[in-house]
Amino acid sequence: MKAGVQTLIAYRMNFFGFAIGGLIYCFVMYYLWKAVFGSSGSDNFMGFSMVDMTLYLFLSNITSQLTFSSVCDDVGEEIKYGTIVMRLIKPVNTDMSYLANEMGGNGMKFIISTMPMIIGIEIYRFFAVGQVMFHIGSFALYLVSVILAYLISFRVNLCFGFMAFYVKNLWGMNILKNSIINFLSGMLIPLAFMPDFLRKTLEYMPFSSMNYTPVMIYMGKYSIYETVFRLLVQAVWAVIIYALSKIIWLGAIKRLSVQGG
Amino acid sequence: MRRFFKIYRILVAQNLKRIIEYKADFLTGAVSFLIDQAVGIAFIFIIFSQIPQLAGFTFEQIVFIYGFSQIPKGLDHLLTDNLWCVGYFIVKKGDFDKYLTRPINPLFHVIAETFQVDAIGELIVGIVLMVYVSGSVNLYITPLSVILFILVIPFAAMIYTAVKIAAGALAFWIKSSGFIIQMVYGMNEFAKYPTTIYSSFVRILVTYIIPFAFTGYYPSIYLLTGQNPLFNIGGTVLMSVIVMSIALLIWHKGLSAYESAGS
Repeated sequence: MKAGVQTLIAYRMNFFGFAIGGLIYCFVMYYLWKAVFGSSGSDNFMGFSMVDMTLYLFLSNITSQLTFSSVCDDVGEEIKYGTIVMRLIKPVNTDMSYLANEMGGNGMKFIISTMPMIIGIEIYRFFAVGQVMFHIGSFALYLVSVILAYLISFRVNLCFGFMAFYVKNLWGMNILKNSIINFLSGMLIPLAFMPDFLRKTLEYMPFSSMNYTPVMIYMGKYSIYETVFRLLVQAVWAVIIYALSKIIWLGAIKRLSVQGG
Repeated sequence: MRRFFKIYRILVAQNLKRIIEYKADFLTGAVSFLIDQAVGIAFIFIIFSQIPQLAGFTFEQIVFIYGFSQIPKGLDHLLTDNLWCVGYFIVKKGDFDKYLTRPINPLFHVIAETFQVDAIGELIVGIVLMVYVSGSVNLYITPLSVILFILVIPFAAMIYTAVKIAAGALAFWIKSSGFIIQMVYGMNEFAKYPTTIYSSFVRILVTYIIPFAFTGYYPSIYLLTGQNPLFNIGGTVLMSVIVMSIALLIWHKGLSAYESAGS
């Protein structure tokens, strides 16, 4: 964990590059939605107001930072270059060492990036709505949900990383993975806006647990009963994906062919 | 000049051989960019299922602008992808020395070294989208407009290249500038939609400072309306030449400031 914190500090410029890139994206989307609201002629677009939408965009961005996992690249690279064998011969659990490392980095992000952004969002919401909407209970539940979301994200990324046993174009895989997750997790467009059957299906898929659920909890869009139910769905997926990554690992390791020495 | 073409041909041929060797990798790359684009279109589609028009544009017109914006982007991606590597690790690892010891222009060598076929995904989607909606939008088609429209594509692509050269060259001073390329390049998101939806600050930013609006919206609006060829097409060419000159200047300054790094 400490190593993760140190890595993030050393590569803070890269992190800021991505954080600012994410913010630019949020602003593009903000203007796009503003135009959508302007063109629809009403303040309410499928249950979302413009304030809701702005909140959603930025929260979704924050959540994706917190649940970010680069284990896909890390494992992929190690498989590609064969250095994975060095990990295999060490008496430390491979996934756990990655996990601990990343949680350190993401914890740092929480302090240096998430907190300021949350404060910014709440100030915006205060001026837009006229009263303090921040709810400490929702925030606490959001944090629980984010941790579950991170665990799922970590395992999903790990599974994609194992694909390196079969394909060597990791960059392409990464684009593929990101566009699939962005769409299915509701980061690109809230699941609430999708056609009914699609929304219902996606709400039960692991992807919505990775971004949509925590954001909706923060925004208070779920009732207490629904919140508990959604957290349970997340927990169940966390367990299933965990098992899946173990099975893939056992299958894939038999195929391990190391190129070069 | 002929020598450059000859070297370029040899290097591209090397790349194509590699693709044939690793077919699965090529497919993954092309398919992933294709899906990335499909998701972008699905997004526009879902929005338009709720509203008939967006800031005065129909669904087809928005798709046309989106489709066009992918072509210069794809062209630049196809030809100059290696510039990312300069920013991210070539300079940092000290590998840049290789280019300096060869008897050809280092910038040309960096660019010629990679021929990124993943970009086929973007190019195909861009062309298919434009052709698909061309029947349902009233295009302003005259021989001159078509010629201008095609001629403007390389200039629009050069805006992308210039941004990458300039941001990548910063690595000569600070060793690793990948994150700067990422940040500036990320602004191309603004090119996909009409600039009229942005606030005036953003509009000025993407028109005159980091002129990505000229890689998508302005050229396509010319073919959609036939208005303002001087600004929409001429502006693209002018901006492209200006940013490229600045980028080359930064690159040459950087080269003279370059000190080898690494072991």
